[in-house]
Amino acid sequence: MSDSDIDPRQAEMDSLLRRSMAAPVPRLSPDFHQVLSRELRRRSQLPNPFGRILLAGYGGVSAVVSIVVMRGQGLGWEAIAVMTLGSLATLELARRLRRRQSGIAAK
Amino acid sequence: MPAVEVVESDSQLVARAQDGDQDAFAELFRRHSDRVFHLALSILGREFAAEAEDVTQEVFLKVHHALASFRGEAELGSWIYRITFNQAVNLKARARYRRPHLDDTVLSHAVSAEPGPHSLLETEQLDQSLSECIHTLPEVYQSALGLYYWMGASVAEVAALLDVPENTAKSYLHRARQLLDGMLKERGYSHV
Repeated sequence: MSDSDIDPRQAEMDSLLRRSMAAPVPRLSPDFHQVLSRELRRRSQLPNPFGRILLAGYGGVSAVVSIVVMRGQGLGWEAIAVMTLGSLATLELARRLRRRQSGIAAK
Repeated sequence: MPAVEVVESDSQLVARAQDGDQDAFAELFRRHSDRVFHLALSILGREFAAEAEDVTQEVFLKVHHALASFRGEAELGSWIYRITFNQAVNLKARARYRRPHLDDTVLSHAVSAEPGPHSLLETEQLDQSLSECIHTLPEVYQSALGLYYWMGASVAEVAALLDVPENTAKSYLHRARQLLDGMLKERGYSHV
């Protein structure tokens, strides 16, 4: 922006700001990239395999118990399949929504 | 015949990074990190370089996490700078910042300076008042002033970093100067 673009009062303020705000501009630390890479690796690590196996086992046992209980109550296989698969679909939908929201939040 | 280096566009790098290529993400980081850091610094202020670095780190972690959902509807740079602006403004709102004050170094500086201690002290006081006035401006004006006057960015660069048209960036600067002029007058500085 040239001084001809601005009136004298603005020009005075312009030169005051230029003088007053003149200072060295800090730079990112030289090792910043390494720090970020380390942090990225740490955050992208998968949960430990033992935890995943335990969670999958728990989910499987819960599904079997639910099916047995629903069958015991006299529900037909079709209704049991709808309820079991429906809850799995809801879970997947929630997971996708969460992913999408974290994408939007970052925007 | 010298080899011609082919520079990949941001969108090509994004596509590679979305396929899990870490080198592509590293290149995107190299391209944008300084601007992200400077934008954060222009919002937080010159005493908060460490916090601006934290913001830069957080921004790139978010970008890395959300890159899979980036569909290229906007420029990558605009997207990153918008995240940076929001992140820095949120940090500023959350944190209780210490304000720089007129300390002994100002006085010692004034005493040892050539034009005379009185005139230098007046200059320091004017600078102090100006800095206080700047802190009361809207974040976007503060950032525009910091980028333009402190970091020497052009109006086009200010516009790109704030994700606004150039004319808007110009009007931010114009309006900020106008407001500062009024505030300084109120404080008794009629001739700046």
